[in-house]
Amino acid sequence: MIATVTDKRPVNLDLTTIKFPLPAIASISHRISGIALFFAMPFLLWALDRSLASPEGFEQVRSIMATPLASLITWLILAALMFHLLAGIRHLIMDMGWGESFQAGRRSAAVVFAVFVVLMILAGVWIW
Amino acid sequence: MKVSIYRYNPETDREPYMKDYELDTGGQDLMVLDVITRIKEQDPTLSFRRSCREGVCGSDGMNINGKNTLACVTPLSEVAPGVREGKKPLIIRPLPGLPVVRDLVVDMTMFYDQYEKVKPWLQNDRPKPAKERLQSPEDRAELDGLYECILCACCSSACPSFWWNPEKFLGPAALLQSYRFLADSRDEATEERLAEMDDPFSLFRCRGIMNCVAVCPKGLNPTRAIGHIRSMLVQEGV
Repeated sequence: MIATVTDKRPVNLDLTTIKFPLPAIASISHRISGIALFFAMPFLLWALDRSLASPEGFEQVRSIMATPLASLITWLILAALMFHLLAGIRHLIMDMGWGESFQAGRRSAAVVFAVFVVLMILAGVWIW
Repeated sequence: MKVSIYRYNPETDREPYMKDYELDTGGQDLMVLDVITRIKEQDPTLSFRRSCREGVCGSDGMNINGKNTLACVTPLSEVAPGVREGKKPLIIRPLPGLPVVRDLVVDMTMFYDQYEKVKPWLQNDRPKPAKERLQSPEDRAELDGLYECILCACCSSACPSFWWNPEKFLGPAALLQSYRFLADSRDEATEERLAEMDDPFSLFRCRGIMNCVAVCPKGLNPTRAIGHIRSMLVQEGV
């Protein structure tokens, strides 16, 4: 009897009702961008392999990469890479014991987002 | 002002729901606990925990407009701009991630189980001195920012790593307590304490997102304590 009551207990875990401060968003985005990079790997390796295999393969990859869709995907992969790199460096610095107060954590997260936006604009200029 | 409160009665409700109340505060900057107490006068079926009403006992941890905190030491003006004036509703939910017993009362068993795992007591097998084990003022100062924890569970129930692995990840509160004893010059179980945490979950599920630091009503920093333990584990391993 007691067990069945306990089993049915609800849990308040509606993520839309919970506030996530900037350091949390930076850390969660770091993990999401890491997963995105993992799934981008096969495509990148395939493109590298094709382009190195023969002059025809190189041309094929180049024509694919020139399409608007491929450009967008390249930009998105670059976004994941850039963000993962920047947020990862932030985590490494914090792992060394620097900037572990909440104020410092929020400031470093803001810096990561700011540098990320600038790099992504530059990447966009470079691709298009 | 409008107050929206999470309601769930296991005997009558199949699902929890949000219930809205109207309360005239006369623009006073009340503590959230006072608001809830006045609502309980309107509706005696509302359940919540409270005891000391001054941020010492840690009973009234709850999620107020998205942030875990103690209702008794949170004035309306600190919840969010516009709440005190009644322009924005006050939204009260139970601590996230813990099973709800009724309304704002959660089952803290998972939280206490993790606390117990870190053996939160002084371990020292040396013969007892006549009076007490003395500490230099410097050694004592090492415990500042650690011993003040009141176990309200605001931090652990704000931590996604604890939400997804409440049985395997110790959570910020227990880890802060673990470091409280690791940092104690009188405690001699450092190696055993570290060995207990040397696995992928107990400590290393911490991703440094700092939700614990953001919510702690006592202004403590579990992220830093976890960093210290991590460094100790690395040194132990080298």
